[in-house]
Amino acid sequence: MQKLNYRSHSLVPYLLLSPTFIVLLLFLYWPSINSVYLSLYKQAPFGRNKIFVGIQNYVNLFQDPAYLNNLLRSTFFVIFTISIGLIFSLLLAVILNQNLKGIKFYRVIFFIPYAISSTVAGSLWVFLLNPVAGQVNYLLDLAFNIQVNWLTNSFFAFLAIIIATVWKNMGFNIIFFLAGLQAIPDSVYESAKIDGAGAITIFKDITIPLLSPTTFYLIIMNIIFSVFESFGIVDIMTQGGPADSTNIVIYKLYREMFINFRPGIAAAQSVILLALVIIVTIFHFKYGTNNVHYQ
Amino acid sequence: MKKTVLLVLVSLCFIVSFSAAAEEVTIDFWHAMGGHNLEVVNTLVEEFNNSQDQVEVKAQYTGSYNDTLTKTQSAVQTGTAPNIIQIYEIGTQMMLDSGIIMPIEDLGKEVAGDNSFDWDKFLVPVSNYYTIDGKLNSMPFNSSTPILYYDRDAFEEAGLDPNRPPQTFAELKEYARKLTIKNDDGTVERYGFTLGIVGWFVEQMVANQDATLVNNDNGRSARATASNLNEEAAVRFVKLWKEMVDEGIMLNPGRGWDGANQAFASGRAAMLIESTSSVAGFTENAKVAGFELGTGFLPRPASANRGGVIIGGASLWTIADHPEEELKATWEFLKWLSEEEQQVYWFENTGYFPVTKAAVEREMNNKFFAKNPNYLTAFLQLLLSKKAVSTQGALIGTFPEVRQIVEKAVEKTLEGNMTPQAAMDEAAERVNKSLKEYNQLYK
Amino acid sequence: MFDLNRGSYSIYKKIALHLVLIIISFIVLMPIIFGISVSLQPRAQIFSYPPSFLPDRLHFDNYIKAWNLVSLDKILVNSILASFVVMLGKLGLGVLSGYAFSHFEFKNKKFLFFAVLFTLMLPMQVRVVPLFEFISRVGLGNSFSGLVLPFLASATTTFLMRQHFLTIPKSIMESAQIDGCGPFRFLFQILLPLSGANLAGLAVVNFLVMWNAYLWPLIIINDDQKKLAQQGVKMLFASSSERDWGIIMAGTIMVVIPTLIVFLLAQKFFVKGIATQGIKE
Repeated sequence: MQKLNYRSHSLVPYLLLSPTFIVLLLFLYWPSINSVYLSLYKQAPFGRNKIFVGIQNYVNLFQDPAYLNNLLRSTFFVIFTISIGLIFSLLLAVILNQNLKGIKFYRVIFFIPYAISSTVAGSLWVFLLNPVAGQVNYLLDLAFNIQVNWLTNSFFAFLAIIIATVWKNMGFNIIFFLAGLQAIPDSVYESAKIDGAGAITIFKDITIPLLSPTTFYLIIMNIIFSVFESFGIVDIMTQGGPADSTNIVIYKLYREMFINFRPGIAAAQSVILLALVIIVTIFHFKYGTNNVHYQ
Repeated sequence: MKKTVLLVLVSLCFIVSFSAAAEEVTIDFWHAMGGHNLEVVNTLVEEFNNSQDQVEVKAQYTGSYNDTLTKTQSAVQTGTAPNIIQIYEIGTQMMLDSGIIMPIEDLGKEVAGDNSFDWDKFLVPVSNYYTIDGKLNSMPFNSSTPILYYDRDAFEEAGLDPNRPPQTFAELKEYARKLTIKNDDGTVERYGFTLGIVGWFVEQMVANQDATLVNNDNGRSARATASNLNEEAAVRFVKLWKEMVDEGIMLNPGRGWDGANQAFASGRAAMLIESTSSVAGFTENAKVAGFELGTGFLPRPASANRGGVIIGGASLWTIADHPEEELKATWEFLKWLSEEEQQVYWFENTGYFPVTKAAVEREMNNKFFAKNPNYLTAFLQLLLSKKAVSTQGALIGTFPEVRQIVEKAVEKTLEGNMTPQAAMDEAAERVNKSLKEYNQLYK
Repeated sequence: MFDLNRGSYSIYKKIALHLVLIIISFIVLMPIIFGISVSLQPRAQIFSYPPSFLPDRLHFDNYIKAWNLVSLDKILVNSILASFVVMLGKLGLGVLSGYAFSHFEFKNKKFLFFAVLFTLMLPMQVRVVPLFEFISRVGLGNSFSGLVLPFLASATTTFLMRQHFLTIPKSIMESAQIDGCGPFRFLFQILLPLSGANLAGLAVVNFLVMWNAYLWPLIIINDDQKKLAQQGVKMLFASSSERDWGIIMAGTIMVVIPTLIVFLLAQKFFVKGIATQGIKE
């Protein structure tokens, strides 16, 4: 890490941080503390009747095998979406970093899915994946003579959700991979080429290490996105079905909060999620930083 | 001189507009009618505002039914709730328990002191749903039921009488078998029947057999405490569903409505059960696709009692915590909405049922039904429904969750993990737990 | 195989690259192409078998209908304004705090850094009701300030700027300090000019935060005149099962276009080689 710094300006960092923390304190920490408090209650819709239940909401969750399954399923979901998403985005970003006529146009194309709302994105996938009238099965039928029950088979529904999520978030990853790639000076590549390194060697030994600060960032952002933001697509495409096979933690939380109107149990779930993601993040910071190369 | 005249004129304008504004009461109306229906609601509200100068209604689209409920909940907690909200039918018990509403019958009779209003003007199957403890609690607004849609041309091709849609479960299966076209390679060219996995259909099929969804007379004589999902009526339907899907004569398009609609609209399924509010859409669709649309009543097992359909959709609720003049203004608007003229306009433009007898009579006299026979099917099915607690609909505080539980049970049977009985047993148990938890809050 | 460096290519390589890009673009765009095709067809023609990939003829009615139904002009102006304010706020606050975390040593630095990062893990769904109560209590309900204020800080920006500032060679800072360059001048005159691509990327992403927000505007805005883009799109969805997908898709496309313009503008800053020049100076 950086050792040199502006030591003499001891107040400066606090000055720099104060606007951010004023906003966070008022609009994020305060309401969130409120929701921790809420997790100790059972509350009727419209805030009427509030019963203090202590940690009962947590106990109920951990005693519910469906919730534990849900956590496990979500872990798989996060691992698959992140690894598929990041690898795919990195490869695309490398191609999109080429000096080619019309490359800006291609970049816009890969950005579009990120720009549309989850509701519409989910609906489009539902139509495309329709078992008998959708384009995807039509093409599969023509090419391989197979028909896939995308949304009614547990395995394929899970796969469909992953595909749609990767597709939707690709734009975000590509933007920052591209920004990272742009920051690698041409001179580095040129000297490697003079040394006779091949394309794959350059990619492995130069591009990947030099991109590592970006990758480190994207891994954490993707964990957070796939844990906290993926309920929109699930809600439209499968509503957690068939038979819970696509029910992930954030979707369950969303249902408890906005459909079943049980804020207490939803708040308890968000506290559990927060704790889990914090553990993963700290772990990543502790052991992941070793592989990050700052120049 | 000119300036003085101008000044007088301007101040006059102010006084006039000010006094007019002082008399006018503004009320807020939050609704969930999107798409084309948004226009219809806005037109109605505008017409009401122009028709008199005492009340100004401010209508606002507040997202889906669930969004509207969410928004209302946070508004209630900060004292900024509107005067009227549109709530889906399955939110009825939740609204009754909310402690924020004023039953519409109290509003009309006691607050507004309106003695001339005819409380019997509503269609019985509609008002029955929203009448609890002998009182109409909310104003019926957009109402629909499910009906069977089918491709008449496909019926003829398959040697079936297009004027006689299937009436029993056995017939539905037999028809679907005849309507299914299989290719040589085993793939299905056209399915006989399709149905989206939506809890509403199971509820309707239970009512159609004159059975109840929960105990205590569908939760109407006392709070529901136990579910009847694992009894014959529901299990029988789920069993039929599974058998037909397994046989390859019925398409399982997954959760929700879109998949089934897409399959039917593109001609890959010959029959479908869907809401009556889609009659206009499917008619238009059939015209473009080049087939004639038929409609029929929901089938039921030959041996079951005759029940009927439950009204679905949403109703308008009044929020109590507002000054008296606003409550009176609220009543004026709701009363106006129930008038014949507005009801006919609503029906003809949205496809939702008119909710008053007068409006239906007028449409009969206008030969509207003769011109639109598919609407007639929808009406007859509703009006011929048996008057009983089964067709009155269940009152369940956690209804949205119950639907989710039912949908999951259907999926478990269709995927072959569980028998219909086992899946419905499990569902019933989950519903009982959910009811118990909810009831604890209101002890 | 193409070069991973951005040199010049032979014509064959160029054609091959274009081919690869076109094929991937088609796969990625399939849902979008379908959406555009739906938006150009009357309702009754949307679903057919075999499924259509392109519309038979162009039918722009849906665009006009969608535009008028939800007064898109007003909604787009509101959204552009709100999204720009949020974007500027997030960039400003994020750059300052990212700089604090990358170039300064202070007490509880680690703790404070995680305190910022963890805000990403507090889902809006759970804090929306208490947040709304707070905003209403301070009298900002149904107001522009109430709408944008809670969105001004950004962990995403803070974190990325920290990551990026850490990659800027130490030699630059050493020479700046020797020249007597103060911390703010160093940030604005040296660090930021070296951060074009990242700032541009963050601008786009932060713009989209408000552009695609639905829940918070739904709760706080009580006035049709103040509604934002996603509320507009939602207005096109009918409450019943029967939806006019042509109009919905037309509305969606019109709502996406401004974000594509923002992205195109931002791409101007995706230029190569600033870092190298920086070192030479």
